[in-house]
Amino acid sequence: MSWIGKIGRVGRIVEPASDPPEERVAPPTGVCGSLQLRHVDAGSCNGCELEITGAFSSVYDAERFGARVVASPRHADGLIATGVVTRNMHQPLLNTLKAVPEPRVVIAVGDCACNGGVFAQGYGVVGSVADVIPVDVQVPGCPPTPQQIITALRTVTGR
Amino acid sequence: MTTALDDSPTVPAPDQGLTAARQARGQAVLSGGVTAALGVVGVAFGLSAVFGQSWHLRIGWLLPLVGVVFDLGPLGGFFVAATGGVSIAVGIYAVGYAQREHWAAFTLVMLPLFVAAMLLVPAAGSVTTFLLAWELMAGASLVLVLSEHRREAVRSAGVFYAVMTQLGFVAILLALVVLSAAGGGDAFATISAHSGAVSAGTRTAVFLLTLMGFGSKAGLLPLHAWLPRAHPEAPSPVSALMSAAMVNMGIYGLIRIDQQILGPGPNWWGLTLMVFGALSAVFGVLQASVATDLKRLLAYSTTENMGLITLALGAAALLSSYGAHQVAAMAMTAALLLILSHAAFKTLAFLAAGSVLASTGLRDLDKLGGLARRMPGTTVMFGIAALGASGLPLGAGFVGEWLLLQSLIHSPHNNNTLLALMMPLSVGAVALTTGLGIAAMVKAFGVGFLARPRSAAAEAAAEAPVSMLAGMTLGAAACAVFAVAPVALSPVLRQVLAALPTVGGNEAGPALGGYLRLPGIPGSMSPGLIAAALVIAVLVALGLGRWGWRRRPVAAAAALWACGADSLSSKMQYTATSFAEPLQRVFDNVLQPETDVEVTHFAESQYLVEKVTYRTTLADPVERRLYTPVVRAVTTWAQWVRRAHPGSVHLYLAYGALGLLVVLVISR
Repeated sequence: MSWIGKIGRVGRIVEPASDPPEERVAPPTGVCGSLQLRHVDAGSCNGCELEITGAFSSVYDAERFGARVVASPRHADGLIATGVVTRNMHQPLLNTLKAVPEPRVVIAVGDCACNGGVFAQGYGVVGSVADVIPVDVQVPGCPPTPQQIITALRTVTGR
Repeated sequence: MTTALDDSPTVPAPDQGLTAARQARGQAVLSGGVTAALGVVGVAFGLSAVFGQSWHLRIGWLLPLVGVVFDLGPLGGFFVAATGGVSIAVGIYAVGYAQREHWAAFTLVMLPLFVAAMLLVPAAGSVTTFLLAWELMAGASLVLVLSEHRREAVRSAGVFYAVMTQLGFVAILLALVVLSAAGGGDAFATISAHSGAVSAGTRTAVFLLTLMGFGSKAGLLPLHAWLPRAHPEAPSPVSALMSAAMVNMGIYGLIRIDQQILGPGPNWWGLTLMVFGALSAVFGVLQASVATDLKRLLAYSTTENMGLITLALGAAALLSSYGAHQVAAMAMTAALLLILSHAAFKTLAFLAAGSVLASTGLRDLDKLGGLARRMPGTTVMFGIAALGASGLPLGAGFVGEWLLLQSLIHSPHNNNTLLALMMPLSVGAVALTTGLGIAAMVKAFGVGFLARPRSAAAEAAAEAPVSMLAGMTLGAAACAVFAVAPVALSPVLRQVLAALPTVGGNEAGPALGGYLRLPGIPGSMSPGLIAAALVIAVLVALGLGRWGWRRRPVAAAAALWACGADSLSSKMQYTATSFAEPLQRVFDNVLQPETDVEVTHFAESQYLVEKVTYRTTLADPVERRLYTPVVRAVTTWAQWVRRAHPGSVHLYLAYGALGLLVVLVISR
């Protein structure tokens, strides 16, 4: 039963919440304070995935600001896309976007997703996420820190 | 599908073909009609016997010395009526099935004969007549199993079935001969009157032999091995008759000989029945839940249900021997209800499986699917059967299983260690059986009938003809009555219980009114009200939904979500194998699957995998452990005996002379 004591000893480890960002993005209709997201790796090196995992971990805890990653685009209000869009992931990305009910929001995370990053004009690359689908929020950085990702998410959830 | 018409000219002249078709239809209608008519006669005679009109018939000239004696009482009438009901549905179904599958004339003749033999077994009033009818039934069913004898699998199943059914017959023959010698007569009535004088040793011998003989017919562990072989290979109407009616004869034999004529036995009889019943139920359902062949699954489900019925019989006998007559009557009622409901849903399930087989040629669940669109009628029928087999509310098997559980839970143990130990264990066995049964039936229905077709044959499926659907509708109607209004069976069950004084027949059984009330026990349930509540809930939900729809925005049409791929394929679906995989893993020690993984690497590099072959075979462990050594020993022995007849005429003449000499010396 040592784990009960451990809970008390460790205490709250979550980073204190900063003030909500000034800048706001119009959230999809019907979304107020809660945002369900489906994540698509369009060809990432997995650096952004690690940071997204960090953002939703118990330390940064993005869920307290209303954002949540879900398993199916059918349950989602929007997409988080990472990485350059490779030829193999081009059609699946379009299919996934089509599967998210409208109105929806698309968040591109990382330099690759925003402008191609170091992989731009590679032989297997179609382009950045914005070249393929309309993007609402961009999070620059290679990779962006969890704090940056959370700030971007809060511009949509408004919390 | 191999048909009996393989060697007929392939392109007959048009008018010739028409005449042949008309003739085939005439034959099918005649065969199916006679079968159904026999069924009607069975139901009529059976019900009249149940309600006190006892039928007695003696045909002296038919068998030398003893004659043939028929004596139909309430218990026999119950089984005759159940068999008759199954035969009506099967007869109507067979009209369409026989035409579609081009049955040979021989099969068409044997079908009504088989039904007649089955109707005669419970009507038999003497040992000789019983054995005659029993052997007629076994022989007719064997011929019917072999009706597609051109396939190797059918021949192998036929040999297996023939050997097991004849060994069972030998056990019954010995038991009944010993019994009639000890009981001082050939007629069951005579033996019953003198049963008190039968010595304890004889009783034990008769009980053990009948348990073997009737147990093998009922498909109890470990004598069940013929069921999963013969039932899948027999034509589906025959499977339905065998699985829904013929196996009941094993149960009839156990009740008639061991409980009605010999009973009440010592309490270890009931205990033995309970143990074998529980083992059969759990083992049968476990095998059913991992089976991928639809008809094999249903055959194992028969073992499961016969196990439950035997468990109920054993519980009734055990409780009665400890004086708990009220609960014993409840357990007996559960057994009788389970017999009826099993007959109804298993007929329906095998007939629906037969429609699928006739339409697609497939029994393998991993290749079926998508039938709900293509065969809606058959799908609904199989759904009703699967609901009945899973023992859930609104299913045919629910009331019987509920009663069985109630009688096991509420049995008074009176500080008796045996009862206090046996009853909770049985509750566990029944609960496990029901739970796994649901998994097996969800698999059979969900994988076999829903989603997308997994093969071209399943894609080309078409609905069954009207007569087949009509036969199935009859079975479905019976399922619905047993599920919602068991009150309809109440008078029948009361009469049959009264004919079984050894299992508490004098006590009032549970009252099967609109409310099921259990005497002396705070338990009641109303299947009719449950059904009504469900219907009302569905209607209310539909009404609310319709009310809400008006406020909704226009629905958008979108392609199905295929995990990012362009379209769904049938390979993305659950298969029967993958559905059962967790169960197979959990029960690894019991099922003992043989798994074989073979990884092939590219010649260029051992780090690149060219292909992975995964093969898993699920052989029946009981069969492998018990039957293989026996078969091997018998084969070795037969090789020895073979040396004695090498084909030399001189040697055979010497044998004859030697034999004669021995006879002369003995009878000197």
